[in-house]
Amino acid sequence: MTGAPILAVEGLVAGRGRADVLRSVSLSAEAGAVTCLIGPNGAGKTTLMMAIAGLIRPRRGRIRFDGREIAGRPAHRLVAEGLALVPQDRLLFAGLTVRENLAAGALSRDAGPAIETDIARMGQRFPRLAERAGQRAGSLSGGEQQMLAIARALMARPRFLLLDEPSLGLAPLVAREVLDLIAGIAGEGIGVLVVEQNAARVRSIARRMHVIDRGRIVHSGAPDGAAADAAVDRAFFGAAVAPAGPAPAGEAAP
Amino acid sequence: MIAAAVAGLALGASYALLATGFTVVFGVLRRIDLAYGASIMLGLYAAIWLHREGMAGAPALAPVVIAVTVLAAAYVERLCFAPHADRPPVTAMAASFAIWMQLQEIAVLALPLHTYPFPSPFAGAWPAGALGGIRPEHVLALVAAAAIGLGLARLLGHTRFGLAVRATTENRAAAACAGIDTRRVAIAVFGLAAAIGGVAGYLIACIDGQVAPHFAMRATLDGIAAAILGGLGSIPGAIAGGLLLGLVEAAARSAWGPQQADLARYGLLLAVLAAAPGGLAGIAGAARRRLAARRRASGRRVGEASAAGEA
Repeated sequence: MTGAPILAVEGLVAGRGRADVLRSVSLSAEAGAVTCLIGPNGAGKTTLMMAIAGLIRPRRGRIRFDGREIAGRPAHRLVAEGLALVPQDRLLFAGLTVRENLAAGALSRDAGPAIETDIARMGQRFPRLAERAGQRAGSLSGGEQQMLAIARALMARPRFLLLDEPSLGLAPLVAREVLDLIAGIAGEGIGVLVVEQNAARVRSIARRMHVIDRGRIVHSGAPDGAAADAAVDRAFFGAAVAPAGPAPAGEAAP
Repeated sequence: MIAAAVAGLALGASYALLATGFTVVFGVLRRIDLAYGASIMLGLYAAIWLHREGMAGAPALAPVVIAVTVLAAAYVERLCFAPHADRPPVTAMAASFAIWMQLQEIAVLALPLHTYPFPSPFAGAWPAGALGGIRPEHVLALVAAAAIGLGLARLLGHTRFGLAVRATTENRAAAACAGIDTRRVAIAVFGLAAAIGGVAGYLIACIDGQVAPHFAMRATLDGIAAAILGGLGSIPGAIAGGLLLGLVEAAARSAWGPQQADLARYGLLLAVLAAAPGGLAGIAGAARRRLAARRRASGRRVGEASAAGEA
């Protein structure tokens, strides 16, 4: 544990429709490190990410970002303040070009030549995006689309990045590449909270882990060690699983 | 012959503007504003009223029509679209239908006659029969529509606002994630559509030389028909759909008379939709995809051939 949390969620209750998906969630994440959030299908991971990012309004609870209360503020304003979400289905502008997608990512900040510089920088960081600058985003491969989604979020110059299942649907090699990229982003001082269903892979790059199950955080701590393993097993397979059993440790890969 | 073609194109240009208004609003809001024609009608009636009271001369009527149309649209947006943003699209559409009736009643109460003459800015300035019978109002409509089309292409293709509009049209949730204030974009686009509609209404009134209470119905139906013909949500489609509709209407009118002109228009709409539910833009999109697929396939063949050559 180093540094004070840049993002702190306390007693968050949220949901879509009438039911509460999140029933009092509390967690925190630091700047300049990867924090991972792991949990089975339907645990509330995406709802939590959307509530933090301002896409759904929490019913109760507090979200503090960089010392300020942000619960209930709309997404576009949070992006301008440095909190950006890369949503689960990537949500690219499929009919716009790669370049236009990147430029749209910078619409929340002031115009100027800095945007051209940033687009050029993204081109260096993601050479494949630079090659495809004039192509429609919808024509990219899955891995390239995920790269573009992350690059578009970086165009807003965020201080904190929320990533909702960035490796979903990607081939294992490409997923590894995306995780390395995420580790690199955190290395530049940007805080990252990444949701994954595939626990083993993301735990290798995280400094801290939260496990979510049925709308509650059931474990917070280091991403490795016996206590962490037990918490992940419990969340995915229930308490009935014997600790010594041949559990495929959260490997829900396709 | 040339004069008839110009007349058809001018009519089509006014349809294209109306269709563009419907289509940009639909693109961003995924909703159809049924009060669009009535907002424009209120603008026209306000201009006629001011003109009759001696408060505005013929050349000053265009800005009056545009300004009042935008005001009426702001009223429609606040009442029908802002409060129902998170409800199913039919709610806002039904609300806008109610406001259509209200706006139309206001206009008719203020000016209750069956029709009112609309003064052309060219009255007496253009000798009858000059240029082979081409009317100046038709030329004005073509020039104005072309200028708006080019201006819109520039605005949407080359400005930050345009990028925000296109991003929001592509995917509203994605736009919010990218930091775009989609509500502000929606309001701005609503106002932009109203201004375009005001211009279209002014041009139509100048061509017709009069305005009647059924203007709201006509503008709404013509605009929606052209927008759907072109493919709802596509601006190039709206322009193509409007021009095609105007040309077909003019041709049918000169060949078979005014009764059959409507028949020809809606026959065209039905035929295109039966063949391609996505309208003209859908046809163009499918052609583009086929072309891209063919190019990819031939590229792959070339790649394989060169790989084989290297091996």
